[in-house]
Amino acid sequence: MRRILAKRVINAFITIILIMTLNFMLFRWMPGDPAKLMLNHSPHESDYAYLRNVEIMGLNDPLWEQFIKYFAMTFEGNWGLSYAFEMPVIDVIGQAILWTILLMGVSTFFTFVVGVWLGKIAARKRGRSPDLAITGFGLFFYGMPIFWFGIMLLVIFVGYWHILPSKGYMSDVPLYPITFDKIVDILTHLILPAATLTIGSIAGVTLIMRNSLVDVLTEDYIVTAYAKGLDDRQVMRKHASPNARLPIVTTVAMDTAFILGGVFQIEVVFGYKGIGWYSMQAIWNEDYPVLQFVFFIGGVAVVLANLIADIILVQLDPRVKIT
Amino acid sequence: MKFEKVLPAITQRLFASRPLLADKLGLLARDAGKVTDLFLKTWLGRVGMAIILFFVILSIFTQLAVPYDPRIGSDDIRQDSSWEHPFGTDDIGRDVLVRTLHGTAASLTVGFVAMAISMGLGTVVGLASGYAGGWKDEVIMRINDVFLSIPWLVLMIVIAAVMHTQSLWAIILVIGITGWSTTARIVRAQVLTLKERQFVERARAIGSRDWHIIRKHILPNVVPLIFANAILTVAISILSESTLSFLGLGPRDVETWGKILEDAYRLNVEIVGPYAFIIMPGLCIVFVVLGFTFVGYAMDEVLNPKLRVR
Repeated sequence: MRRILAKRVINAFITIILIMTLNFMLFRWMPGDPAKLMLNHSPHESDYAYLRNVEIMGLNDPLWEQFIKYFAMTFEGNWGLSYAFEMPVIDVIGQAILWTILLMGVSTFFTFVVGVWLGKIAARKRGRSPDLAITGFGLFFYGMPIFWFGIMLLVIFVGYWHILPSKGYMSDVPLYPITFDKIVDILTHLILPAATLTIGSIAGVTLIMRNSLVDVLTEDYIVTAYAKGLDDRQVMRKHASPNARLPIVTTVAMDTAFILGGVFQIEVVFGYKGIGWYSMQAIWNEDYPVLQFVFFIGGVAVVLANLIADIILVQLDPRVKIT
Repeated sequence: MKFEKVLPAITQRLFASRPLLADKLGLLARDAGKVTDLFLKTWLGRVGMAIILFFVILSIFTQLAVPYDPRIGSDDIRQDSSWEHPFGTDDIGRDVLVRTLHGTAASLTVGFVAMAISMGLGTVVGLASGYAGGWKDEVIMRINDVFLSIPWLVLMIVIAAVMHTQSLWAIILVIGITGWSTTARIVRAQVLTLKERQFVERARAIGSRDWHIIRKHILPNVVPLIFANAILTVAISILSESTLSFLGLGPRDVETWGKILEDAYRLNVEIVGPYAFIIMPGLCIVFVVLGFTFVGYAMDEVLNPKLRVR
């Protein structure tokens, strides 16, 4: 078992290194000259300033030297300067990451609680109307562009009923000191984006939970469990659920990349200033260092989520082998 | 109609001059017909097929019979829904209904071509990786992990920025080259089990080359598995295009539903209306994607009988 874990950790590490390499290469191929882009945002442009930027950024160094420097600086925690904001990238989006984590955390929680619950209902009533309704709605939301679903909620709750705020993660007041009113304010701003993300990603969990439960429920040992006189609830809790839960663990991890994509769209639609919102600003401003950092942090997050899922899976299921 | 009987008959008729070829194709046609029959028996398959046919016909009808050019504006800017402009008009006076109709062709093109690219890439990579094994397999799988790990939207956005052109074909290429990793995984897993089977060993024993084994023995066993996946990829590609377009990274040269939604959102239509402007293009996306998803699921049930609902 230790060997399996060691291999997983090494693989995760290699993947992160490869992500960093790709990150380095892709942004070298980006159109535009970084030394010039940096100048575009300051008023006094001159050849001297341009050359100085080239020197500071090390653009004259050979590519491999730049590459090594990029690695060293990434591990030191120096993630570059934003062109548009002219301050370290981490200062620009450091706080934004927390808002994104809040949004993702809340909706991931509800996605799994509600998704597993719906999946259980569908599996227990498989082939009958509750199952058809749940699977049908699941596929319907699965095929919905998540940004459009967000807009539809805006149409209903903001455009038509005017009962919820439309933009941002809170009203336009300073965050500190935190008072009860502000927490309520933050939560009301959270309702629409979190609901969009939850409903948009719930279908995947529901369908997988349903299919895996249906698989388990047709196994012989379930028949045995019924035969020895257990009722539905006991069979579900003791015999079916533990086994059906395994694929869900993998899904959580696999979904991280998908959910991150959803978060981007939702943050743009609701003007929720998390990393997705800042990344889109960065694209429109050609602020590549910010984008590069998001690319890096997103990749690392997904790799870590997968690693953690693998570790949990190995703990839960002794049959897991190296693949 | 029984496709199982009809398709071979048509094949026989078409290739009547070359009986050998006709027989060979006839067998294939019979299998295809059998699958079609089973497929059309499923509820999902029928509804999905109907939806897809509806949009295909709609797009042909638009190309042939709608006389308005969706790119040309008029003086009727920001009109509300009316008989003349059922979905209203945008800020440079283009009719949203005409734009929506023209978006159909773009979406279908994106879906099919991007699917072909990512399926092709995924199959080749999966075959190579699974068949070669050893360190080559390890290397390819680590690269595959990278593509699976990077949030797809960020990767697409960055590649779109690197390519710096925003034509329809560039967008298709971006979607195609970011979507192959899951397919590669599935194909590789299948190849790994096929490789150990006896018929492959026998082929090797009589001196078949690798290329021959892959083409004649392994590929035919992989295709049914990825067929359903291919149809689902069409759906995902259409979704990706609409998302990119909505974020302002869509094609500049053609109308797409995502671009209409981008305009609608920019003009605050979700607050001020007309709601049809923002609802209808979105519904089109939902239904096209739903159609392909249904067909994909139905195909999966037919081709992989293990999954048939118990």
